[in-house]
Amino acid sequence: MKFSVCIKQVPDVSAPISIKDGTLTQDSDRMVLDAYSASAVEEALVLIDKHGGEVQVVLVGPEKAKETIRKALAMGAASGVHIVVDDVSGLDSGAYAEILAAWHKKSDYDIILTGKQSQDTDAGLTGGMLAWKLELPYAANAVGLTYDNEGGKLTVTRQGDSGQEMIELTSPCLVTCSNDMNEPRIPSLKGIMQSKRKKVETLQLGDLGLDPDTLSSKTSKTKGQGYKEVPGREPGKKLEGDPEELVTELVGLLENEAKVL
Amino acid sequence: MSKILVHIATSEGKIKRSSLEVMSYCKTLADKNSMTLEAVVLDPDPAKYTDQLNTYGPDKVYQVKHPIFKNHLNAAVIEALSKVIDQSGPRLCAFASTESAKEVIGALAARHDAAAIPDVAGFTINNGSVDAERPVMAAKVLSKTSSSSELVLVSVRSGSYDLAENPGNAETVAVDFDFDESGLRAVLKEVLSSAGDKVDLSEAEVVVAAGRGIKDENGRKLVEELAETLGAAIGASRAVTESGLFPATLQIGQTGKVVSPQLYFAIGISGAIQHVAGMANSKVIVAINKDPDAPIFQYATYGLVGDLFKILPPLTEELRKIKGA
Repeated sequence: MKFSVCIKQVPDVSAPISIKDGTLTQDSDRMVLDAYSASAVEEALVLIDKHGGEVQVVLVGPEKAKETIRKALAMGAASGVHIVVDDVSGLDSGAYAEILAAWHKKSDYDIILTGKQSQDTDAGLTGGMLAWKLELPYAANAVGLTYDNEGGKLTVTRQGDSGQEMIELTSPCLVTCSNDMNEPRIPSLKGIMQSKRKKVETLQLGDLGLDPDTLSSKTSKTKGQGYKEVPGREPGKKLEGDPEELVTELVGLLENEAKVL
Repeated sequence: MSKILVHIATSEGKIKRSSLEVMSYCKTLADKNSMTLEAVVLDPDPAKYTDQLNTYGPDKVYQVKHPIFKNHLNAAVIEALSKVIDQSGPRLCAFASTESAKEVIGALAARHDAAAIPDVAGFTINNGSVDAERPVMAAKVLSKTSSSSELVLVSVRSGSYDLAENPGNAETVAVDFDFDESGLRAVLKEVLSSAGDKVDLSEAEVVVAAGRGIKDENGRKLVEELAETLGAAIGASRAVTESGLFPATLQIGQTGKVVSPQLYFAIGISGAIQHVAGMANSKVIVAINKDPDAPIFQYATYGLVGDLFKILPPLTEELRKIKGA
């Protein structure tokens, strides 16, 4: 069983950020492995531990993103593919999906895993777009995966709107992973040492028959127009005192001022 | 005339409030831009929603009737919506940002060579461009995103727009839809509903949400008693679902569910930005926290500084008297 896990390098979203003239500035320029991607890598590793096989990770991003591929290799992935795009700022989900589709059309895989969204944009489009372009059955927002070796069937538990849905996919197929499905492992020292000897294939967009200008001007159908602050809420009332008083005051306000009881 | 097509999400025989919010706003948008407003319902019995839909003034309602829509299966939803998109030829197709919509919007966009802008906090149409704002970077900022594509798909976070009735009388169109499941490589085996789903969290009018401050089983019980008294849905912060006190399905926040009830109780929740992103559209927010500097107080309509273990029992008692009366 061969897993192809699409991973992304993202800014550390926990670092403070500010906006100036519509442009985003982060206090730290630290880039990390996207948390949803990490859950996808972890889940693939757990499944091959049980059923055999190997995990390859695929990343679209600048030269610097190679360190993120190394991180996934240190977790236990066998090999990496780095599709080098120096400036990803003009690419939307559609362009990422186009690039990943071009790669997968010429590669072997049984199951493609992606994050259900990525921490920087929270869009969650690429997985479904990629599945469509590759004509694969898919399920999104998976919180659990089990594999049946004999039938080549993957059972996905996904978080739906009312409860969880269990969907049986026939491979080849695609699943997008929630960060609720597992706790990604921290690479061991041995894993880190081994990762340095693992193979990372480097490709340019031209190798996939793609043109960077077309990807940003035509394939990307949405354009970023800058950033703005999230609007705040009107300041409320802060109540202090002993519990009985607080309760009386709150219930009065809910009944008479907010009128929500 | 160009068109706006709104997908209508239903649950247990009712149109979801979040879909009605999208309808309400799109009606205004359609009138302002001289566009036609159309709606599409996929359901085993789509006709039963027509009266309710007419309250929101669509010009036309596409009804796609099939038993498969009893549950969500992405292949069937994509097939049906594609057919209606081809038939209607909308400029804009709007969804409520439900898990079901989120699962299909990317594939639909790829299939129709359309733009997709998911999970928006707001959007409008300016000179043929669809301009939207959506939270990014762990919901710390809003990204302004626009598209001039011939077809743009947008999904809207719940609570972004108010309900506004606008009665009309829509033309209804029954759409022929055959769906052959036999060749499908994705089969829905089972739907598991968890105990916490008694009240649909994303549609609830009142939500009682628990954070790290509830500590243990005892705290959980106090939260459950308050929720039961109010007929509220229970939610939780990520810290609490990770600890196992509440199931992950109840997580509210940027990576969980987005809720927009009339009344939201944040019990022992500090108010990390990722959590706030999932509840900031609530109308009235009550926060109970012993740390007077907790960030949640910046969002609270009424902030109670104190020990939740001492406040919740008399609060539940007091509310029980009111609700029982």
